[in-house]
Amino acid sequence: MSAPEESAEEPAQRPIIAEHELHRLIGVGSSGEVWLAMNSIGVYRAVKIIFRKSFPWPKAYEDEFQGLVRFEPLSRQHDGLVDILQIGGNREAGYFYYVMELADDVETGQNIYPDFYEPRTLATDLATRRQLPIGECIRLGTPVASALGFMHRNGLIHRDVKPANIIFVNGFPKLVDVGLVAEIFQTRSRVGTEGYIAPEGPGTPRADIYSLGKVLYEISTGKDRHAYPELPDQMENPAVAHDKVRFNKIVLRACRSDPRLRYRDAEELMSCLLSFQFGPRGPFAGRELPYLSMWINIGGIIVMLGVILFLALRIWKLLR
Amino acid sequence: MNIVRLPADDLLPTRYSLLSRLQDWDDHASWKEFFDTYWRLIYSFALKSGLTDAEAQDVVQETIISVAKDIQKFKRDRRFGSFKGWLRNLTRWRIADQLRRRQQDPTVSIETMGADSPEGGPREFPASPEAEQAWEDEWRANLMKVALESVKGLVKEEHFQMFDLYVLRQWPAHKVAVTLGVSIDRVYLAKFRVAALLKKEIQRLENTELKVE
Repeated sequence: MSAPEESAEEPAQRPIIAEHELHRLIGVGSSGEVWLAMNSIGVYRAVKIIFRKSFPWPKAYEDEFQGLVRFEPLSRQHDGLVDILQIGGNREAGYFYYVMELADDVETGQNIYPDFYEPRTLATDLATRRQLPIGECIRLGTPVASALGFMHRNGLIHRDVKPANIIFVNGFPKLVDVGLVAEIFQTRSRVGTEGYIAPEGPGTPRADIYSLGKVLYEISTGKDRHAYPELPDQMENPAVAHDKVRFNKIVLRACRSDPRLRYRDAEELMSCLLSFQFGPRGPFAGRELPYLSMWINIGGIIVMLGVILFLALRIWKLLR
Repeated sequence: MNIVRLPADDLLPTRYSLLSRLQDWDDHASWKEFFDTYWRLIYSFALKSGLTDAEAQDVVQETIISVAKDIQKFKRDRRFGSFKGWLRNLTRWRIADQLRRRQQDPTVSIETMGADSPEGGPREFPASPEAEQAWEDEWRANLMKVALESVKGLVKEEHFQMFDLYVLRQWPAHKVAVTLGVSIDRVYLAKFRVAALLKKEIQRLENTELKVE
C-alpha cells in the first residue's frame, strides 16, 4: 500500500470521505485537520485528514502513511489505543485520511451534539481539574503504559505522548494521534512536544516511557511539566504526602535523564503502577525491588559465611 | 550519592561569550539561551510597571528585538555602560512605548520610567530610586530563578526535591527526612551540594555581564 500521490496544491473543496459525511472541523494540527463526521448508519466518528502540503518532502508524507498502515490493524487489538476503522485518500487532491472512534464530549460524554461537540482529552480534564487524585492517576496511567508496551512489542513507537493525545472513549483513556507513530529507530522530520521529549530525543521505547512519566508528573502534582521534579504544593498534609511521595518514586524512575536508569520497558512501568494500586503485598508487588542491591546483600552474606568457614577450618587445623 | 558535576571548564567560556555570539543573528541556540535567561526579568518588570499581561509580552518581544538590533553598537561603545544597565534602559523604553500606545497620546509623561527614546548614542536616564531598586530586585530574583532552573537539570531529582522542601519551602530537616523516607544526613548533604552548585551557577550568570564591560 502506498500513500496517495502527492500534490502540492491545496484541495479545492472539502475532502470526500467514503461513506461519511463531514459535519464540523474540530481540530487543526501541524499535519492536518480533524473533523466530526457521521457514517452511513448514523454513528459519529472522527476523521483525521493529512495533507501532502504539510510535509517538507514527499518521503515524510509517505512515511506518515506507511506508519498509519502498520498501526491500523494493531490499533483494534488493544483497548488503550484508539480504533482506526478506515483508511483512504485522494491522490490528485494530495491528502489521505483515517476514520477513528470519536472521543467523548467534555460535557455530555457519549451523547454527541454536533454543533457543540468538544472532544474530551486528558488536557481538557487538566484544564478544569488541574490535578487528579493518585488513584485516578494509576487508573489512567496503567492502560496507557500497557498500550505503549503493546506498540513497542510490535515494533512501533508513539513519539508524542502528552495529555492532548490521551482521549476518553466511554470514559476509558486511549492513546491517539497516530500521526507520529513510527517504526522503532526510524528517523522522522517531526518530533514530539517540547517538555515531553526525552533528553536523548524521541524515537525509542524508553523515550515514550519518559513522555508518559512527564504526563504522570503533571496529573499527579498539578504542576507544569517544566516544573519537574518539584513536588506538589499540598505536601503539608501527611496523609496526602504519603501517597504523593510513593507515586513520585514511580515518576522519577520513568523520567530519569539517563535512559538506562528508566524502566526497562512499558510493562515494567505498568506493573509498578499496578503494585501501587494493590499495595505492597498485591499480586504485582516486588517488580520494582532493586534487584541489584538485593543480590549484593545475598552475595555479601555468602562471602562472609565463606570467610568465617575458612577461618574456622584454619583454626581447627592449627589446634590439631 | 550521585551528582552530576558542572563541567565548569567547558561551560564557563561558552557562557562568557554568549553576548559575543549574539552578534550572529543566525545563531539560534545563543538567542534561545539569551531569551530563556532574560525573558522573565523583562516580563516581570513590565508587569510591575503597570502593564497588562499582553502588553508585558509585547515588551519582551520588542526588547529582545532591540537587543538584536543594537548588540553590535553596544559592544563597540563603552559609554553604554554595563549590560545590566543597558538592558534596563532598553526595557524601560519599550515599556514607555506601550504606555504611549495605551494612552494614544505621544506626549504622555513617562518621567516615572526615567526613560526616553534612544536616538544615536547612549543617554543618561535619571530613573527614580524606586525604579532603580525595582530593577535591581527583579534582576536578583531572575538570576536566582534562572540558576535554579539550570541546577535542576544538573543534580539528581531526589536531591533537588530535598533542597526544594528544606531550603525553598523552609521545612525542618527532620520533616523533610520523614516525608521523603530518607535519613536526615541525606537531606543535609543534598542541601550542601545543591547550594554549592547554585552559588556557582549564579556566579557564572553574573560573569556574563563582567565579560562585556
